[in-house]
Amino acid sequence: MKPVLRAALAAVLSASALASQEPRDIPIKSYTLPNGLRVHLVEDHSAQVVAVNLWYRVGARDELLGHTGFAHLFEHMMFQGSAHVQKAEHFQFIERAGGTLNGSTQADRTNYWEVLPSNRLNLGLWLEAERMQSLAVTQANLDNQREAVKEERRLRFDNQPFVGALVDSIGLLYDRERCFAYSHSLVGSMTDLNAAKVEDVQAFFRQYYAPNNATLVLVGDFNSAEATALIAQYFNQIPAVPAPPSVACDQPYNTGVLRRNVADANATIGAVLAFWRIPAVSHADYPALDLLSTIFGQGESSRLNRTIVREQKVAAISQSVLNPIGPTRGPGIFGVLAIANQGVAVDSVERAVVAQAAQLVSGITEGELAKAKAYRKSTAVSQRQHALGLAEAIQFADLFLGSANRVNDDIRRYDAVTVADLRRVAATYLRPDNSLTLLIVPGGK
Amino acid sequence: MMPRRVRFAEGATAAGALMLVAALTPLFASAQRPAAAPPAAPIRAAQFPPTREATLANGMRLVVVQSNKQPVVAVSLTFAAGAAYDPPAKAGLADMMATLLTRGAGARTAEEFSAAIENVGGQLTASASADVVTLRADALTDAAPLAFSLLADAARRPTFPDKEVELLRTQLLSALTVELSQPTSLAERTFVRGVFGEHPYARRADPTSVRRMTRADLVAFHDARLRPAGALLVVAGSLSFEQAKKLAEQAFGSWTGAAASPLPRTAIPVRSAREIVLVHRPGSVQSNILVGNATWRPNDPRAYAAAIANRLLGGGADSRLFLTLREKKSWTYSARSSIASRREMGSFEAATEVRNSVTDSALVELLAQIDRLGTEPLDRAEFDRTRNAMTGAFPLSIETAGQVAAEIANAKLLGLPADFVQSYRQKLAAVTPEQVQRAARDGMRSSSLFIVVVGDALKVRAQLEKIAPVRIVSVDGTPLRPEDLVVKAAALDLDLTHLVPRTDSFSILVQGRPLGYQRTTLARTAAGWELQDVTRLATVVQQNTTVRFSWALVMQSVSQSGKAQGQDTKIDVTYANGHATGTAVAPQQGAIKTVNVDTDLPAGAVDDNLIATLLPTFRWASGARFVLPVFQSGKGTATALTISVVAEESVTVIAGTFAAWKADITGGDSPISVWVEKGGAHRLLKLAMTGQPVEFQLVK
Repeated sequence: MKPVLRAALAAVLSASALASQEPRDIPIKSYTLPNGLRVHLVEDHSAQVVAVNLWYRVGARDELLGHTGFAHLFEHMMFQGSAHVQKAEHFQFIERAGGTLNGSTQADRTNYWEVLPSNRLNLGLWLEAERMQSLAVTQANLDNQREAVKEERRLRFDNQPFVGALVDSIGLLYDRERCFAYSHSLVGSMTDLNAAKVEDVQAFFRQYYAPNNATLVLVGDFNSAEATALIAQYFNQIPAVPAPPSVACDQPYNTGVLRRNVADANATIGAVLAFWRIPAVSHADYPALDLLSTIFGQGESSRLNRTIVREQKVAAISQSVLNPIGPTRGPGIFGVLAIANQGVAVDSVERAVVAQAAQLVSGITEGELAKAKAYRKSTAVSQRQHALGLAEAIQFADLFLGSANRVNDDIRRYDAVTVADLRRVAATYLRPDNSLTLLIVPGGK
Repeated sequence: MMPRRVRFAEGATAAGALMLVAALTPLFASAQRPAAAPPAAPIRAAQFPPTREATLANGMRLVVVQSNKQPVVAVSLTFAAGAAYDPPAKAGLADMMATLLTRGAGARTAEEFSAAIENVGGQLTASASADVVTLRADALTDAAPLAFSLLADAARRPTFPDKEVELLRTQLLSALTVELSQPTSLAERTFVRGVFGEHPYARRADPTSVRRMTRADLVAFHDARLRPAGALLVVAGSLSFEQAKKLAEQAFGSWTGAAASPLPRTAIPVRSAREIVLVHRPGSVQSNILVGNATWRPNDPRAYAAAIANRLLGGGADSRLFLTLREKKSWTYSARSSIASRREMGSFEAATEVRNSVTDSALVELLAQIDRLGTEPLDRAEFDRTRNAMTGAFPLSIETAGQVAAEIANAKLLGLPADFVQSYRQKLAAVTPEQVQRAARDGMRSSSLFIVVVGDALKVRAQLEKIAPVRIVSVDGTPLRPEDLVVKAAALDLDLTHLVPRTDSFSILVQGRPLGYQRTTLARTAAGWELQDVTRLATVVQQNTTVRFSWALVMQSVSQSGKAQGQDTKIDVTYANGHATGTAVAPQQGAIKTVNVDTDLPAGAVDDNLIATLLPTFRWASGARFVLPVFQSGKGTATALTISVVAEESVTVIAGTFAAWKADITGGDSPISVWVEKGGAHRLLKLAMTGQPVEFQLVK
């Protein structure tokens, strides 16, 4: 930021009668059922809405060799009915109640949620308990959903530019022997999915879809005592299982430059995807890397947009993205995407990105750090306006930071970051010998 | 029985009850989960955050919706300056003006402006819809003064720098290229033209209007339309009414000027019968069907019943269109309907995309469902379920202050009553099945629906004519007669003396790098000519093609084998007596598809693998335009290519530098440009795919 602007901004802010404000503290009531289901409740009566949010601690990272793609296949299976819910009825129940729902799979977790008018909290809890206890893992459902997953792969990855290349190649950052957990594709291999037997899938369900491997968060317009009774009535009868095996990932950093050319049949223009290995979300360096990612490529005034898009015009779009396949308890990923302008070769784009990454080690200013902190704060605050956003933030804190209450103080880790920290993490992690670069060119049609 | 109450916990404090319940949890072991989904609990009347309104001295209206849940504020500022106010020859002006409001304003350049708002973690955007231009700022509450001052700069003092105008023009032209190739956009553009006729709601930007726009147009439009009088400023979040009003007065109080002129009234066409407009998209494997009608002004009392009718018909996975067209018939991935509200006139539409062979069946079913809704009494259970789903969903639409503010702003802009948002759910709950049936009859008007089908007219026209009168237009809107569809005999006068035995080699460059080659050999046979074509592109395309044709250019056969996208491809087509028979396994719209070819050939049509071979036989001249009927043997469809000479220029390829004719070839799957040697044998020198970094260059 130009000094004159900074002065102007300071003047505007000091003239304001509005006190500086932090995100409001969220009071969370937490307990654990006898069967191990962790529960976090946040009452908020400002709207007649309730979010029911269930995270299972299972994701691609838990998959074993020969069983890749199971976590995602399972997310589909969860909508196929259970003892008292017919196939596709889950959707119908929620839609007819005026609610919305979804589920998603990442490396470290699979989530399921419903947002409902608050008088239908009972419906959301009942549906989640039903499928946790009695999901219909049948041969017919498996065959059917295996096809649906392949169709999803075709629609979302194989028929879109760049996405297939990303999903198929990002695991190259991890060593298959030392960190199988993150080295294989989230979508899994078609061979594994085709070979999956219904017994394997049932075993996977019993192992991971158990109360002691799940966390339930409710946010919204409900009475905690009533909700607690309802949760007990619906979930207590579901038995706990032995804890799932732990997952090892001993991924070294700085193992050498990785660079791949990829021909992408869906692309009509070239692109560069660059990735660097970074530590887990809970690591002390993570907040600095998160802020660095914002400075590098989030927003119109980010470095990548200002330089390679607007000044040099080598890229049509360029952005950074932290953990593109989801946050992790193991090593994660700092990513950059740059889509080439027409007529610009991908290696020119790569050179431009690399040059900008190198600048991060020396060039960051106090102004940029302040901007990234403000962005972080405003994103966190905006997310909490919605019941679902707050529920997700609580789940994130619970899984990745070790406690739901960290939702209230994680911002302090960010406040403490200095420009020196940013330079240090840039020098430590954004090194060529710690990177993977994908050069995507149109082709294959 | 509702198994949800904890009797003994009543009266205790929440925290106390929680501890008690947790301690006693084992006692509940006998309270089992019921075997059926629990019924809905009662719901309280909707709550709205405190809302206050005022009008500033300059006529700007202010609405403040306060919520202190989080320290954020969302401010929107709306002007009657939407696309409806675009001058007829400058469609797209409002949108372009809106986008530029934040790309240079007050003392800030585009970059300084974005930095200023992003430095405080905020965002500021501007966009145009049919009726209005809206600027919106989101920021933490302590940055509210800055957000207001930036909004004031963008609305009052945009600078429209030449550099930014040109950058945006380039971006818009690229976006339009994509848009105009998509069947959904073609359907929508045709639909609004049919429904709104000469009314400005039918106008859409096109490459000509975007190229025509000048900085002076943008400045004039801004000055004429962005006025404080009548503008609507809505503030939502943790600001009190007094704080918001003070900031509004600081930012906008000194801005004066008369209100902008209202939109002149323009009649909207009245249709008395169904009509089909068929947009001919040669080779289309799917038909996009879009049907609908103009409805009402926003404050029509039938709007509530119409909303329920729409939801019943096609408003979700529980609706009639979805359940019949998708679930029962498996004709489509998606079938849906919607209602759009605009200040002058709303519209209803229903849409689906189906394969060619079921185009008529799907349209008949779609029309029958609309008809049925207006004529058959509703099933009470279906009606209740639909209405309850809508009233049930209402709380989700007003969860945050920002959502409430957006709903209130929308209601005001549409001229709806002051209590519209607050009373919406009750009004919806009071609707009867009879009102829904009447609203469907009067609003959707089944007997006079306007119907758009975007697809291959050669494949679907005859079927559609049995349903309603059909008007055919080209993708750019030009009327076509049925006889125009059949690709004409070769009126093209070719100089066949330029067809000589030869071998040409081309290098295939991707992003300027040689990644493959093509080698073509033309040789005489006993019955005419044989073309052998070998193409290799890295590991992604391997193709061997043989085309045989007579001395008089009558096709005999084409065979092709190879790999594309890692899959085997194959074409095996024989031509005899003006008919093509065989099979093709070839890439089509990004996937490998198998086609059974059994088609009559347009007179004079040549196989599309021969295009490059025939270029030397054209009678090249400045400004020349040739139309070549071709048969796309990989798809089994006929089309006509237009080859237009657009330039005479020197071109350098690997084989050397040549004087060349540059010609654009359109009408195929994707536009291409070719450079043909001016003198000598009119050899093909270079071929480039428009918009893709792929080039073929003559090597020798």
